[in-house]
Amino acid sequence: MNAIRINVNKQMDGYSFSITPSIRDFIKKLFPNAHPANNIFVGYDTKSDFEIYAGKLENYIYPALLVDNENDLKKLHEIQFIDIQTGNILHKVTPRDEKV
Amino acid sequence: MTKKFNQYLGKAGQLTVMSEFLTRGWNVAIPEVDIGDDIFVVQDDNGTLRRVQVKTSTSKNRKSGYSGQFNVSVRNLRNITNIFVHYIFIVRHNNEWSKRVIIRQDDLLDHFENNKVGSEADGNITFYFSYTGNKVECSGQVVPRYTSVYDHPF
Repeated sequence: MNAIRINVNKQMDGYSFSITPSIRDFIKKLFPNAHPANNIFVGYDTKSDFEIYAGKLENYIYPALLVDNENDLKKLHEIQFIDIQTGNILHKVTPRDEKV
Repeated sequence: MTKKFNQYLGKAGQLTVMSEFLTRGWNVAIPEVDIGDDIFVVQDDNGTLRRVQVKTSTSKNRKSGYSGQFNVSVRNLRNITNIFVHYIFIVRHNNEWSKRVIIRQDDLLDHFENNKVGSEADGNITFYFSYTGNKVECSGQVVPRYTSVYDHPF
């Protein structure tokens, strides 16, 4: 299975995390009970405040975007957070190795 | 075709689309500052907002039907925010507007990146749409899901 790609767009006031319709269809096919979201916006100040107490924001974004079930997430090989404008990989997660 | 004519055609397409939204009970506005959106479409009773970019083209006759060519900025297409842009493609053919092809930003980006639809050069993606009867194709792929009335994707 290829890596799941989460697009990250840096805007004036925060980050937009999104997945493409093909990833959404793929997730729904794999996990029929999942309700993958289109996108999640997080302001820069919210992100920095959040990370002081809870650690890396991305670790909370992918369950919210894809599927909010620990066992289902473990079936995903790798999740990549990609800067949508440059194509650079900003962050990588392997759910089966993470404590979600 | 002069650049000036393209501007007239583009504005005509934009106003045509705005009129269509009004007919369907959606309010419309043109942003005072041009940062990529052509129209804001608002459902007055609940405040639902949609951002719309209208792409207009003249037609070229083909063996069967006709085609239109559209340029979309890669940067704008990739600039995904919490409200997606809906691209509406229309072609002026034989003094009439073609059927509207409506594609949401993330769908169009998905088609470009994963289905090899459109060709990229100088920061723009060029999409060729061919219209044959009721069928609309882009780079050889049928786009029936999107050739719909305005109510559908909203």
